[in-house]
Formats: sequence, C-alpha cells, structure tokens
Amino acid sequence: MTEVPDRSRGVIALHEDSCTSCMLCARECPDWCIYIDSHKETLPPLDPRGRPRVEAVLDRFAIDFSLCMYCGICIEVCPFDALFWSPEYVYDGPDPLSLLQERGELGTWMRSVPEAPPAS
Amino acid sequence: MTSDELTLRLREVLGDEMRVASSYEVVTVDVPRPGWVAAVTAVRDLLGLTLFDLLTAVDELDAGFDVVLRLWSPGGRFGLLLRTRCPRDDARVPSLAGVFGGAGWHERQVGEMFGIAFDGHPGMSPLLLPDGFEGHPLRKEFVLAARVAKPWPGAKEPGESDLDLAAAPPRRKNLPPGVPRPGTWP
Repeated sequence: MTEVPDRSRGVIALHEDSCTSCMLCARECPDWCIYIDSHKETLPPLDPRGRPRVEAVLDRFAIDFSLCMYCGICIEVCPFDALFWSPEYVYDGPDPLSLLQERGELGTWMRSVPEAPPAS
Repeated sequence: MTSDELTLRLREVLGDEMRVASSYEVVTVDVPRPGWVAAVTAVRDLLGLTLFDLLTAVDELDAGFDVVLRLWSPGGRFGLLLRTRCPRDDARVPSLAGVFGGAGWHERQVGEMFGIAFDGHPGMSPLLLPDGFEGHPLRKEFVLAARVAKPWPGAKEPGESDLDLAAAPPRRKNLPPGVPRPGTWP
C-alpha cells in the first residue's frame, strides 16, 4: 500500500463501544447509506434508590461504501466520537457487495486511526 | 485584483446598469438575458477572462433558472461568476458556444439536466443521459426514484430496528430532511 498521510480520509471507522445508537449519523447522512438497528435493554439503577435505566443496545451498524460519498458529515455529527476517518483506502473485495460493511469490518479500520492531537 | 477593483472595472466594461455583487471575494455579475452573449464577450476581451471554467444552472423554483458561468483570467489570476436568469415557462438562454467553444458541451449538459434551451447552439443533443430518458434530473420537481423506493434509514428511534417499525408503525413519523413531504412530490 502506498504511504499516505495519517489524516488522509480513506475509509470510515467505527469505535463500537462509543456508539449509543442515537441515530444522528444515519439521519444526517445525505446518501442514506448508514443502517443502524438497536434494541432497548433495562439495566439496574446505578443508585439503589434510583430507577432502572433503559439503554439502546446496538444490533447492527453498517455503512454502504458503494453509496457513500465520503463527505464526513457522520463523523462530524457524532456526539460520542464513535466514527473516525481512517487513512486506509484498500477496503474493497472481489465482490461489489463487500462495500456494504458491517460493524465488525468497520471496527477493524480503527487500527489505523491516528491519535487525537493534544488539546491546545 | 481585489473584488473592489474588479467591481470598478466591470462597471467600466459593462456599464452601470449591471448588478455586481461580491461575497467573500467572489464577484458575481447578474446579466439580463438579452445581453448575455455581449457581456461575456466583453469581459473575455476587455478583462482578460479568457479561461472558460464551467457553466451550470440553478433551479430557483418560481423565480426560474439561473445559468451560471465561471471565467478565469490566467494572466491576472482572478475569477468571476456571471449569471443570467430565465423564467420557468420560457427556459431558454442565448448560447455561448460562439464565444467559448468549450461551452458547447456544458450547455448540452445543462440542457438535458435542467431542460434549458440554448439558442444558437450548433448541436443540442443530450451529452450524458441515455437515449429515451424522460425528464430533467436536476430540476427540483424531478422525482428521485431512490428517495421514493427506499425507506429512510434514519426513520428509526434509538432502540428500534426495522422489525419494530414493520410491527408497529409509530404515531409520529420522522421525515428525512431535504426530501419533499409524502404526497407533495409529483
């Protein structure tokens, strides 16, 4: 793979642990290429006197790179920093359907996401 | 050349009645349709804007269509937008193919995408669309099949999946931004 700068915008990576299934990226995406499914789970209260919490749990997160136009709006709007630009650009397969990438594949691109610059 | 200097020069070349506006150092001249070819010829010859960059159009709904032209001066390293408007029910603009040869292709593209006729064009055939294509895809009334046939992935709430939506359609439906409401699109 040819060397490219760290912050090149090659492919979009998903940091799954940060995603809260809030749907903002899927709603902002101008190409309608982000698919999210989630379900609600009830968790015990943090405080014994509190009420049980309801949390959305991610079931599916997929980006269809055959539709994506790499505008980066999803990365911009994510309030939880779950989406990142990765500089990798070889992420296709022999089959065009391989451009529809599920969360497992989107997670592998996190390996090449550069560290955030130090806060100034 | 700064935008202020360019505005002054444009007034000398085109006369005072031309509306010249500048925004963030981009100068735009609004030219009445009958003077379109004369104005473009004048700025090419008198201001050195000899590089034809692009010609496109904007659908301004009831106000009609704007045809927008960008020219550049390779010697002076400044650019300019020229714009002319035609009404929706008389969508025709004089052709610039005689001023800039390269404008011919752009006018063919604008012609098929917006349904604007370019008077005096040497060969107004479609450039990109396949034979038999109906409609003008960049007009706002053109129905985008992909936005009608495909459900919006953002309609779900957090904690919902496609199966939930199919089982119990929500009372208040989320609507995708930028797409006309159901029933208002022809």
